[in-house]
Amino acid sequence: MFGRVKDAVADAAETLRRAFAGLTVVEMAPEPFRPRGHGSAALGVEPRTGLEPPVAAWREMGLLKEAVEGRALQPIRAELHAETGWARWGVEAEVVRMTPLEAGKATQIAVPPLPRRAQVLGRVEAPLHPPVRRLSDPLVSPGARRMDPTLDAGNAASGLEIMLSLAVPIQSEDIQRLPKGLWMRYSLQLVRGTGENVRNLEVIGLFRIPRKGVADLRHDPRQGRILVRLEPAALRAARAPFILARRKDDGVLVSCFVEDP
Amino acid sequence: MADPIKLAYFMAVKEGASYLGGLLVTDTSGIPLDFRYTEPITPTRLQSILYGKSLEPHLKEEVIQKTLLKELKTPPDLFILSVAELAGGWSGDARYPVLAVQKSQESPLAKVGDAFRAGPRDLLIQLAEGAAPLRVMFAASVDAVAQEQAVVKLLEAGYHMDLTEPLERVTAALQSLVVKEP
Repeated sequence: MFGRVKDAVADAAETLRRAFAGLTVVEMAPEPFRPRGHGSAALGVEPRTGLEPPVAAWREMGLLKEAVEGRALQPIRAELHAETGWARWGVEAEVVRMTPLEAGKATQIAVPPLPRRAQVLGRVEAPLHPPVRRLSDPLVSPGARRMDPTLDAGNAASGLEIMLSLAVPIQSEDIQRLPKGLWMRYSLQLVRGTGENVRNLEVIGLFRIPRKGVADLRHDPRQGRILVRLEPAALRAARAPFILARRKDDGVLVSCFVEDP
Repeated sequence: MADPIKLAYFMAVKEGASYLGGLLVTDTSGIPLDFRYTEPITPTRLQSILYGKSLEPHLKEEVIQKTLLKELKTPPDLFILSVAELAGGWSGDARYPVLAVQKSQESPLAKVGDAFRAGPRDLLIQLAEGAAPLRVMFAASVDAVAQEQAVVKLLEAGYHMDLTEPLERVTAALQSLVVKEP
């Protein structure tokens, strides 16, 4: 028993030996590991001369120019394209292949009888003609209108009453320019008219005012004039010399008309 | 005896869109002899467009002035208006000298009654002793002879009255009329 096991092991060993007898072992020297660096190129300094002036580049836009010109200059040519019917037939004709008749596939088709009377379908109504209307009213020509641009003032109104309501300033005459005899005559009349002593009177001025129709009289010492308010009667009244004076003792104003010689 | 001198004072004012004119005739004392005024004239929009810039001068000189003068029985001896109106190119009428008077700041002339010609249409006249002379401007239509005649009348009237004052009265009267009429 033990001998059989031993033979079997021996056989197996021999079998394995024969199976691996053809294999040769090759020894290879291992390649030393070298790390491969993928470095970038070293930065280099490129010398420049400084600021470079802008360079004007001339570019010809030939393509666009040609296209525009070509399109503009291209004449319009009419071409006659004619084709024969046969050629067109040869290109576009479709061959219809008919299936051959086969026995037993034919069926009888009942032909419907022709109608005795043709039926009119889709009767088209006669187009309606728009009624023609006649415009009997002629166009009236626009009438030109005239507007007188003349400006009219109307009537002038009399407003003397309004003017008389305003005070009229009357200036004193220059006594120094009067003849001496005339002034003495006036002074005498002033003394008689007022009853005052001539030495007590200070003459303010000699004014020519209407003898009638003086409604109000005021002295304007700043401008040496009198302001009179007149009534309509004053317009027709004669002008007479009028002396206005002040009493020296009390400052009261006195006045009187004097007569011209 | 010569006819008394009659002075006509003309003034036209614009109140809103309306124009109003007045003419005061006075004697040489400044006492009113007549006063006429026009009703307010309101130009239409179309008239304003058609007349343009000539609207106001035309209204004052051709419409208002002539309407007022037509009402006078006798033409005035002098037609006096404001300096502004005269400077606007008042043409005037040959029947009466058109002029403007203005108080001046000039030195007094030698004596009362003196006249100094400052220009072809511009004179200074001495009306009162020691006072500033009065400036007188004539319209273009007044020739030299007419100017001399007008100066004599101005000197006579200026002896009795303030020649510039009546224009203020006309303006005041016109303004009172505008206030009365709504």
